[in-house]
Amino acid sequence: MTPRRRADRRTGFLLLAPALAVLVALTVYPVASVLWFSLQHRMPVFGIARFAGVAHYAFLAEDPRFSNAAWITFAFTTVSVGLELGLGLLVALALRAQRTGRRLGLSLLLLAWALPSVVTARLFEWLYHPAAGLANFLLGGHPLNWLGDPVLALPGVILADVWRTMPFVALICYARLTTIAPELYEAAQVDGAGQLAMFRRITLPLLSQVLLIGLLFRSLDALRAFDLMFVLTGGGPAGTTETLSVYAYRNLFQTLQLGFGSAVAVVAAALVMLVAWAYLRILRREGLTA
Amino acid sequence: MLGCLLLAGCGEPAPRAGPVTLVFKHARILGPSDPLPAVLREFETWHPGVRVRSEALPWSTDEQHQFYVVNLEGGNPGFDVMMLDVIWVAEFARAGWLLDLTPHLAPDELAPHFPAAATAARFDGRVWALPWIMNVGLLYYRADLLAKHGLEPPETYDELVAQARRIRAAERDPRLDGFLWQGKQYEGLVVNVLEGLWANGTRLLGDDGTIFPEPERAREVLAFLRGLIDHGISPPWVTAADEELTRRAFGNGHAIFLRNWPYAMDLFELADSPVRGKVGMASLPRHARGAERAGATGGAHLGVYRYTKQSEAAVALVRFLAGEAAQKALATGVALNPTRTALYHDAALVRTRPNLPRIYSLAAAARPRPVTPYYLVLSTTLQPELSAVLVGIKTPGEAVADARRRLDHFLRGIR
Repeated sequence: MTPRRRADRRTGFLLLAPALAVLVALTVYPVASVLWFSLQHRMPVFGIARFAGVAHYAFLAEDPRFSNAAWITFAFTTVSVGLELGLGLLVALALRAQRTGRRLGLSLLLLAWALPSVVTARLFEWLYHPAAGLANFLLGGHPLNWLGDPVLALPGVILADVWRTMPFVALICYARLTTIAPELYEAAQVDGAGQLAMFRRITLPLLSQVLLIGLLFRSLDALRAFDLMFVLTGGGPAGTTETLSVYAYRNLFQTLQLGFGSAVAVVAAALVMLVAWAYLRILRREGLTA
Repeated sequence: MLGCLLLAGCGEPAPRAGPVTLVFKHARILGPSDPLPAVLREFETWHPGVRVRSEALPWSTDEQHQFYVVNLEGGNPGFDVMMLDVIWVAEFARAGWLLDLTPHLAPDELAPHFPAAATAARFDGRVWALPWIMNVGLLYYRADLLAKHGLEPPETYDELVAQARRIRAAERDPRLDGFLWQGKQYEGLVVNVLEGLWANGTRLLGDDGTIFPEPERAREVLAFLRGLIDHGISPPWVTAADEELTRRAFGNGHAIFLRNWPYAMDLFELADSPVRGKVGMASLPRHARGAERAGATGGAHLGVYRYTKQSEAAVALVRFLAGEAAQKALATGVALNPTRTALYHDAALVRTRPNLPRIYSLAAAARPRPVTPYYLVLSTTLQPELSAVLVGIKTPGEAVADARRRLDHFLRGIR
């Protein structure tokens, strides 16, 4: 390497340095410190910072509350995102088929989507009210213990989440549907295709990218789910609605155990990254990303 | 002279002229007539040169706690005096955020307050806060129904169960529940269980820091609570119930007994309340073992930020607000109960708040929740375990053992 080239390289590094510094400050440093915290018994408010080694990870490996939270997060994400995509698609199709009242339908959808999730949670708290709630009124003489039953609480929270976020899927699907040229259907009709065949051969393939994006957005959101369960059930009963985010919050912000809470966050982040990695592979296959 | 002015910084900076401003952080005071502004103006007239700016905290206690922690940990919180939930005093003192009030107080300064409130103000032999608002867990009962069936308010939980059975059998109202309490997975559940433990002659935290020092008695209490649901004395939905949910159900006339705080009584006595004039207040019952009957202490204390620049004025404000006149104004304006025992027999006050003498004996027997800096760790760890017993996922024995194991991991590392 000539001295000249070496000098060029140095200039290149110097020019990159500010960007690198920002990157290090914003990602490498926090990640490194969370990893470091997770190896300590650490309660900064009490000035406690004692090395703990992998004690927290060893505890987590056998911590039923953590594995429960991981399982709840997974179940919540799969079921609620699945329902959101299915129902969102149906609603979008129904909106397209509708001649009148489309505008009203769209505004109603937007309303549900626009409410802050804490408001949604309060709304459903009333719907699930044991005595005065609409849910039990509709059930007639067989009231259910919606939020206090370990079997029903998670479905109850999922229902609230689906109500709140299905409109998002419905709206992006509807937007895509309006851009499909009517000629496609007319041509198919001439060829003698039925409704089902048209849906399978034309509508669904054209919607697939939008659905995939919905799946990605909603799953990553659902994996971080926090406010609905925090307000509706507090994670209960018996932790049956406690997601990883709620569990991490309790340790980090409520009991201020930075060490243990960091360990929870590290493992939770690793799980989410695994899912994100799987999605990225799918997206790449579909040619949606480089 | 001119030179000195131009140099501006010559000599020491002059003491800041103009009024001292204290910032007072507190939860929003609910009710039609908030008496706090008037109380603070009164303080200002007594302390010329001091102005108090009062700022409301976020809504929920969780958020309030988080607000304090984030700002105090940062070291420049922007407030001088703070309203504290009773369970935070020890934690904040241990964290070094509170000014040690001991040197500023008269030796018997805490004597006029309820003993349970005074206990919660102390930690490590020092006084870190002054009691401001008193709260105590108590038993509400339908006096009309009890009288109709010739019954006295229950002294033991067995009596409570028997009375609930008898009244419901006779009333034949399918909507009438026996006993409502708070079983949702949150702090309120821990309070209900603590009261059960005391009623069974035991406690949560032993003198040496052991959790459930008498596990057998703890298991009995949890089994009893679960049994209330199993046997239909309490409806299944108490496992998702907080104070307001149970207060509304009882207030609509759908229950015979209710465990709640004193605020509920004022709502039962409203003109359009279905249970107006039909509700009685009593101490929470005990389990048969002959333990004491005590409700848990709730409410608020007042502390001073340790590094406030106006410590003298801040201490004066805390003492003023915890004083008789201020507490009386608060009790008159809104239904917040004083921590000063004398006020419960104040003729003028009792005229506007006729329930006060009744609350007095209940509050005098109140017990504080464990006074430890690790209270939130304790409570948060316990909540899902206790909830698991109520919904039948764990046996009381399993829950007690699991809670002990978890707390062991946390407390061993940080104590």
